[in-house]
Amino acid sequence: MKTLLSGASRAVLATAALTAAISSFGTAQAGEFDGVTIEAKLIGGQQYEALYARIPEWEAATGAKVNIISKKNHFELDKEFKSDIAAGTTSWCVGSNHSSFASQYPTLYTDLTDLVSKDVVAEFVQANIKAATFDGNLVMLPRAQFDVSALYYQKDLYDDADKAKAFEAKFGYPLAVPETWAQVKDQATFFADPPNFYGTQYAGKDEAIVGRYYEMVVAEGGKLFNDDFSPAFNSEEGKRALQWFVDLYNAKAVPAGTTNYLWDDLGNGFASGTIGLNLDWPGWAGFFNDPSSSKVAGNVGVAPAPKGSAGVRTGWSGFHGFSVTKDCDNKEAAASLVEFLTNEDSQKLESSAGPLPSRTAVWEYVSEQAKDDPYRSEVLAAFKETAATAFAVPPTPLWIEATNLIYPELQAAILGDKTVDEALEDASDAVDSLMQEEGVY
Amino acid sequence: MNRLKLPPWLVLLLPAIIILSAVVLIPLVLSLYSSFTSYRLTRPDSIFNWVGFFNYEKALTDVKFWAAFGRTVLLLTVALNLEMLFGLGLALMVSKVTQGQRLLRTMMMFPMMFSPILVGFQFKFIFNDNVGLVNNALQSLGITDQAIPWLVDGHLAMFSIIFAEIWTATSVFGILILAGLYAIPRDPLEAAKVDGCTAWQSFRYVTLPFLMPFIYIAMAIRSLDVARAYDIVQIMTNGGPARRTELLWTLIGRTGYVDARMGYANAMGYISIFLAIFFTIYFFKKLTQSRKELGMGA
Repeated sequence: MKTLLSGASRAVLATAALTAAISSFGTAQAGEFDGVTIEAKLIGGQQYEALYARIPEWEAATGAKVNIISKKNHFELDKEFKSDIAAGTTSWCVGSNHSSFASQYPTLYTDLTDLVSKDVVAEFVQANIKAATFDGNLVMLPRAQFDVSALYYQKDLYDDADKAKAFEAKFGYPLAVPETWAQVKDQATFFADPPNFYGTQYAGKDEAIVGRYYEMVVAEGGKLFNDDFSPAFNSEEGKRALQWFVDLYNAKAVPAGTTNYLWDDLGNGFASGTIGLNLDWPGWAGFFNDPSSSKVAGNVGVAPAPKGSAGVRTGWSGFHGFSVTKDCDNKEAAASLVEFLTNEDSQKLESSAGPLPSRTAVWEYVSEQAKDDPYRSEVLAAFKETAATAFAVPPTPLWIEATNLIYPELQAAILGDKTVDEALEDASDAVDSLMQEEGVY
Repeated sequence: MNRLKLPPWLVLLLPAIIILSAVVLIPLVLSLYSSFTSYRLTRPDSIFNWVGFFNYEKALTDVKFWAAFGRTVLLLTVALNLEMLFGLGLALMVSKVTQGQRLLRTMMMFPMMFSPILVGFQFKFIFNDNVGLVNNALQSLGITDQAIPWLVDGHLAMFSIIFAEIWTATSVFGILILAGLYAIPRDPLEAAKVDGCTAWQSFRYVTLPFLMPFIYIAMAIRSLDVARAYDIVQIMTNGGPARRTELLWTLIGRTGYVDARMGYANAMGYISIFLAIFFTIYFFKKLTQSRKELGMGA
């Protein structure tokens, strides 16, 4: 029978396949972890599942077994991890992690520095590695689920010669896609025609506005917290950053309800065609350019996040990763699995569906793949540029609580209930009391 | 062998005692205890960290807490009175209808059937400054060319929340007052007519005193509801912006569940309970008084 391979050929092919598989697993050796079972708690959801379908390959190559004992979203996993810490049930090995949550689990996860070779770590985008390192411990390897915001804009705003002339006459420089936040402010004010059209918009409440303010403080050359986590934003840089939000609101260049907006309101707002410039996440790229969901489809441009007065780009970012617990019996096997789930092939697989990778080589690969699609290429180029200087949230377990103290004060300044100075003074005092009460310093 | 014999009355009451302890007493005692600790959800062992009256002192000296307290009292006063007036009007009108009254009564109850979360989302959309129904209608009718920030402006945001509360709960008053109207004996009304009372006089001096017990019962029930107002406000404004619509329970909910400071949240909760207790006692006193006036017992 032609379709049947002889036993010998099958053996040769199987060996070749195994060799090929092993060569892509880095340090893992065939049968290296025979009989080992790795228990894992992973983030669940349709967009994350494709990667887990690769796990049997790792099992076949190393002889180990993976037992996924929990699959939930990060907020649910977070609660589960916390009860595990409280109950001491942390002998499972591999857990999904996120840069915004990671600082809360210093006792749970081990340092991967000794378990993963330096060469492998060097292959990741270094800004991500930095954000995955707490107190010198590399607590996770980033997967291809990276988030940072770039500037979406309506392209035709820059095609109108009359507008360009009027803009230059008013502001003294030519109208072009903004490279600084000062230019965004000028242009947003110029384009605004409330209540029909707004120059820009921003997330106005909860952690979202504090994240936006945080990245603006950094872009202005300041810091949100000092190294001891005492508040550092009541500074000249912090005031300049907040003034930017206040000025746009006063100029009616943003929707009046912006202080109530969160991500969905912002995304739908830009898609409705009533917003000129919109700093937003990569996940919206497809939605904005899809005629069935967006009125601006075909008219969307994407530029890297603009820079603040310190010449620094905004780049508040977050990403998913995998960690190994301190109580895991076989950390080498667990680290091998983590390395496998974040290796080049895994990242290529995940990023083929849209999410941004966290390995340098995979960035190049996806850019190459998108070269026939000008929009996708533009999106990737803008996000790649922004990702290069991105930074995660300050590594304190009190981050969310601090944001709950800061955001009402930011809103008070934006809405004119307080001056910028008063608002930042009050926010700084509140965060200072929180940190002292919690014994941070 | 001596078997422990419980008195029959205790045996009979035991199931009720056990169930009440499990669902009411234990959570109450536990939350009261935790209000004297620095209990954080994220650090379970902190429930043993006794801090005495620290949480209570902190809440009682916190301007934000008292501002939220004041706003809750304001919401309670305005919403309750308007709901009562609208409910009374609605009940009087429905009671006059001769045909299709059943259908009207059912329709009147529709708003009560919606979950508060849904009502919150509905009014959040209606009052949205950019794509909301109200602004679009006002702009289309040429009444304004502005995007009115319903959920942002200090007064308008409170108004929007009160509007949503009234929409959802006026029918509670409507139904209870309607029940009251059906229960009024005809003789005093007929006597008033014979004596030459005007319609207003019969309403003011005969109908209304008969309705007062029903109104106070509705007030007592709704005061407990509004003092605990959370879901609608949480969805519409989450207490913001800039704490302009912060009520007791949005503040307490955020402190307890988002900030994970359950000890402090429980302390604020126990102080807030006094508000509910005060209004309940007040309305029950009024209820007893109005029943006395009607000669319906001491």
